[in-house]
Amino acid sequence: MTLQPEDFWSFYEWLFRPNAFLESALLQGIVLFVLAILLGLMVGYVISAARYGPSEGFYAVARVVRDLVRFDLPGTSPRRIVALARLAFKEAIRRKVLFVVGLFVVGLLLAGWYLNPESDDPARLYISFVLTATNYLILALALFISAFSLPADIKSKTIYTIVTKPVRATEIVLGRMLGFVAVGTMMLIPMGFASYLFVTRGIRHTHLEVTEVQELSSGRLEGETDYIAGHRHTFSIDPDSGGRGLTDMVRGHRHYVIRDEEGNFEIGPVADALKARIPSYGDIQFYDRQGNPQDAGIDVGNEKIAEGYGNAGISRLVGVAKGPRRIEHGYVEGGTLGMAEFTFHNVDANQYPIRIPLDMSIRAYRSYKGDIETGIRGSITLKHPTKPIRSVPITFYVDEYTVDEQTIPLRIEPDVSDAASEEMLAGLVDEKDGTVDVFDAFVDEQGDMIVQIRCLDSSQYLGVTKSGVYLRAGENSFAWNLTKAYISIWLQMTMVIAFGVMFSTFLSGPVAMVATFVCVLLGFSAEQVYDTRYYIDAGIERGGGPIESMIRILKQDAMTTQFDVDEVAGKVIKTVDAGIVYSLDAIATALPNLPKMVGTAEYAASGFDIFGALLGRHAAATLGYCILAFLVSYFFLKSREIAA
Amino acid sequence: MDTDAPVAASTEGKNLDPVPATESGSTTDSGVVIETRNLSKIFRDFWGRKKVSALKSLDIEVRQGEIFGLLGPNGSGKSTTIKLILGLLFPSSGRVLVFDKDASETSKNERIGYLPEESYLYKFLTAEETLDFYGRLFNMSGKDRKRRVDELIKLVGLQGAKHRQLREYSKGMTRRVGLAQALINDPDLILLDEPTTGLDPIGTREMKDLILALRDQGKTVLLCSHQLADVQDVCDRVAILYQGELKELGRVSDLLKVQDVTEVHARGLSDAAKSEIADLIRQHGGTVESIDNPTATMEDLFLNIVRESEARPGARRVSADGAASAGQAGSGQAGSDSSEDAGS
Repeated sequence: MTLQPEDFWSFYEWLFRPNAFLESALLQGIVLFVLAILLGLMVGYVISAARYGPSEGFYAVARVVRDLVRFDLPGTSPRRIVALARLAFKEAIRRKVLFVVGLFVVGLLLAGWYLNPESDDPARLYISFVLTATNYLILALALFISAFSLPADIKSKTIYTIVTKPVRATEIVLGRMLGFVAVGTMMLIPMGFASYLFVTRGIRHTHLEVTEVQELSSGRLEGETDYIAGHRHTFSIDPDSGGRGLTDMVRGHRHYVIRDEEGNFEIGPVADALKARIPSYGDIQFYDRQGNPQDAGIDVGNEKIAEGYGNAGISRLVGVAKGPRRIEHGYVEGGTLGMAEFTFHNVDANQYPIRIPLDMSIRAYRSYKGDIETGIRGSITLKHPTKPIRSVPITFYVDEYTVDEQTIPLRIEPDVSDAASEEMLAGLVDEKDGTVDVFDAFVDEQGDMIVQIRCLDSSQYLGVTKSGVYLRAGENSFAWNLTKAYISIWLQMTMVIAFGVMFSTFLSGPVAMVATFVCVLLGFSAEQVYDTRYYIDAGIERGGGPIESMIRILKQDAMTTQFDVDEVAGKVIKTVDAGIVYSLDAIATALPNLPKMVGTAEYAASGFDIFGALLGRHAAATLGYCILAFLVSYFFLKSREIAA
Repeated sequence: MDTDAPVAASTEGKNLDPVPATESGSTTDSGVVIETRNLSKIFRDFWGRKKVSALKSLDIEVRQGEIFGLLGPNGSGKSTTIKLILGLLFPSSGRVLVFDKDASETSKNERIGYLPEESYLYKFLTAEETLDFYGRLFNMSGKDRKRRVDELIKLVGLQGAKHRQLREYSKGMTRRVGLAQALINDPDLILLDEPTTGLDPIGTREMKDLILALRDQGKTVLLCSHQLADVQDVCDRVAILYQGELKELGRVSDLLKVQDVTEVHARGLSDAAKSEIADLIRQHGGTVESIDNPTATMEDLFLNIVRESEARPGARRVSADGAASAGQAGSGQAGSDSSEDAGS
C-alpha cells in the first residue's frame, strides 16, 4: 500500500490546506454549495417563469426559499421524521431486503471454496474479499432501495395521504434518507460480524507437533512444525526464555511454541496474522549517488503513474495546479552515496520501551540478475539529526510485497570510525559491549531521529516511499479496524442513499437509479477524466477527448500519433471534445471521491490502522453531500406537483 | 377560523343562495372554509404545450359546517378541484384559500382530513400501524395516538382485523381504514373523493350517516361524487361541474324542488277514497298525474333485508310474488326517484 501525500494530511490540513487554500476541501465544498444553490435558483426561475411569467416566476422561487427558512426548517418535527423513517424502514424490511444478508452469507460460504488459503497472505485475501463484497453489495442495495421508493409512492399515489398531512418536504426527504440508512445499518451489522468470523475462522489452523528438534551447543532449541494448511514453520527456543519460543513468519502469521518441563512441545494458535499497525511516519529525503540531496529518488520506469490529480481540489479545476501528483517508489542506487533518509519524530523511551519496531515495505530493482536466490541487500543506519553520530549499519535482505518487520534494539553499537563522533559519544558508550542507548545517542531534544536506508549491492536499486518505512508506534485491535472499514462502507452507503433519494424526487425510479449509478461511476472514473483534461491542457497527444478517440478507434490510429484528419475538422473536433471533457471534469470534481473511500478497505487488508483523520474526512464529506442532496431534494419536492 | 367572516361578502354572479348554509348547528360563525377565486388548471405536456384545460375559472365558497358536494361526470374536474384545494396540484391561474391560507401551505393540513379516491395506503402496514403512522404525522403524542387509533378502529368497525396487513383487506375494509386515517386528527374540514365507491349498500349507508354525523359535530365536509343519490341524501349544497366549468351551484333542496307538482303521502286509503281525492284535485283545477303505491328504492329493500336477517338469522321466506316485507321502510323516501330529472 503506497500512501499518497493527501493520506498523511490531518483533518485540519485537509479541510483548510494551510498555504494552499485553493486546494482545500472547505473551498471545494463552499464552491459546490454556492454553485448548486445558484444553479438551482436559476433553473427554478426559468421553469417558473415559463409557467407563470417572469415576475410571478420570481415570486414563486422566492416563496420556496422563504418557506424553507421561515416555515419548513423550523417546523421540521423529529417525530414526523422518525415516523417517515420507520415507514421507509418497514417498507424495505417487508420487501425482504434482509435476504441480501443471507445472500452475502451464502457468498461467503461459496467463497470459502475459491479463496486459496495457501496464498502468500491469506489474511489480506480474506479481508479484502469480505470488504469488497460488502462494499459493492451494500452500494447496489442502497442504489435500489433509495431510487425506487419515492417514485413508487408517487406512482401508487400513497404519497397523497402523506403530503395532505402537515408533513413538510424536509421531513419527507430526511425521513426517507434516515429510514434507508437504518435499513443499510441493519444489514451492515450482521455482515460485519459474518465477515469477522469468516476472516478469523478462515486463517485459523493449528500445528499439532514439532519435528526435527535439535539442541544447539548454546542450549538453544531449533526445529520445525508439521506441515498443515500448506505450510510449515521453523522455530527456536532460547535457553533463558523459560521454554517459550516463536516460529518464523510464514504466510503472514506465526505461532508461539512452548516447551513444558517434561519436554513436550505445544504449538499455540495463529498469532500476528490480523493486525492494525499504527505507523509513525517520518519525512523522507533522497540523496543521489554523489550524496547530494534530491527531491525524488531515481525513477526506474513506470513509476510515475498519471494519477493523484484529485487532491488538488478546485485549484486543478481552475487550472492553477497542473499535472499528476501521484507518488510512487523512488529508488536509491546500491554501492554509492545514494540513500533514502527518514526523519522520525516523537521517538522516546515511553513510546518504545522494549525495542523500536521498524517496518519496511521496500522494492528491489535489479539492473542485472545477480544472485537471484538471496535477494538484494540493504542497510539501516541510525543517525542523530544534527550531530555526526551514526550507528553501525544493520543489514537486511529486501523482502518485497510484504511488510518486513525489523526491530532496532534499544542498545546499539555506534560507528566510531572518525574522531568527531567518538568525541560526541564520550560517556555514552557502555564499557563492556561498546553499545550506546539509542535514545541518548541518536535522538535529539525534539525527539527526532534519522534512519538511513542504503542499498549495498552495487548497481542494484532499492525503492522506497514515504509510507514504506515507518516506526510501528503501536497496534490497534483488528476487530476495531474492521469496524472502521465498515464505517467507511456505511458512509459510502449513506452518500449513495442521499443521491438516490435526491434523484428520486424528480425522476422516475429506474431513471433515478441510473442517474445515481452514473454519479457513482463518474466518481470512480474521475481520475481518468482529470487525466484526459490534463493531456488536452498540456497539448499531449494521448488519444484526445471522446470524439477524437472514437475516430482514432475507427481509423485504427495509435493514440500517440498526430490526429490525422482535415485541419478544420480537427479543430472543430478538438474544441467540442475539450468542451465535453471540461464539463465532465467539472461534474466529476463536484462528485464525491468514492474510490478514496473504497480505498480504506486496503488499509484493513494490508494490516494498517485506518487513520482517524481519514475517516473524519470521509465523514465530513458525506455530511456535506448529504446536506446538499437534502437541499436539492427539498427544492424539487417542494416545487413538484405531486398529483401531476 | 374566527376571522373568516368578511371574506364571505365577495360572492360571485352565480345563482347563489344567500341564506347561510346551516340553519341548525353552528350558526354563530358561518365563515368561509374554502374559497376558490377564478381557479383554473391547464395540464401541459413536457414541452409546455396545452394538453387539456381541466378547470376553468372556478369560483366557489364552502362555508363552515356545511356538506358541499361537487358533482359531475367523469373528467369534469371534480378530483382536480379537490387536488388543487389540497395543494397536490398548483393552479395555472387563480387561487385557492383554505382556512384563509394558500393551498400550498403545509400548515393548513393540520385541520384537514382527506379520503382519496382510492385508498392509497401502504399495503404492508396493518390497520393499527397505518393509523398510528398517520397519527405521528400530526405530531400526536403516544398516548393520544393510542386513544385515537382505538376510537377510530371501533368507529369504522375493524376491531377484528386491526392486526392484519392491508394487502389482505377487501376493498370495503381498505376504504374504512382510509376513512379512519382521514379522521385521525379530528379535522375541521374533511375532503372526501368519491366516498362511497367500493362500498356495499350497508357501507354506503354508514358512510352517509357518518358524513351527516360529522356535519352535526360542526365540521365542514366537501365531497365529490358521481353517485347522485349519495349527493342528494347528504349534501347541503352542490356544485355541478361539466368539462371543467361550473354549471350549477346552490342548495340541494332548492335545486331539486319541482315547484308546480304537489306530493301527498298517506296511509290506509281505500280505492274509493283515492278516486274521491282525485276528483277533488280536478275540482280545484289541478291535473292528476298519478295516484299509485310508491315503490321503495333497492337500497331500502336491501337494508331492510339485512336488518331483518340480523334480528332473525336463518333462511328468509319469500312470498310467491316476490314482494317480501320491505314495504314499510321504503315509504319515507319513496319520492326520491323522480329527483334526477327534476334537478336539471
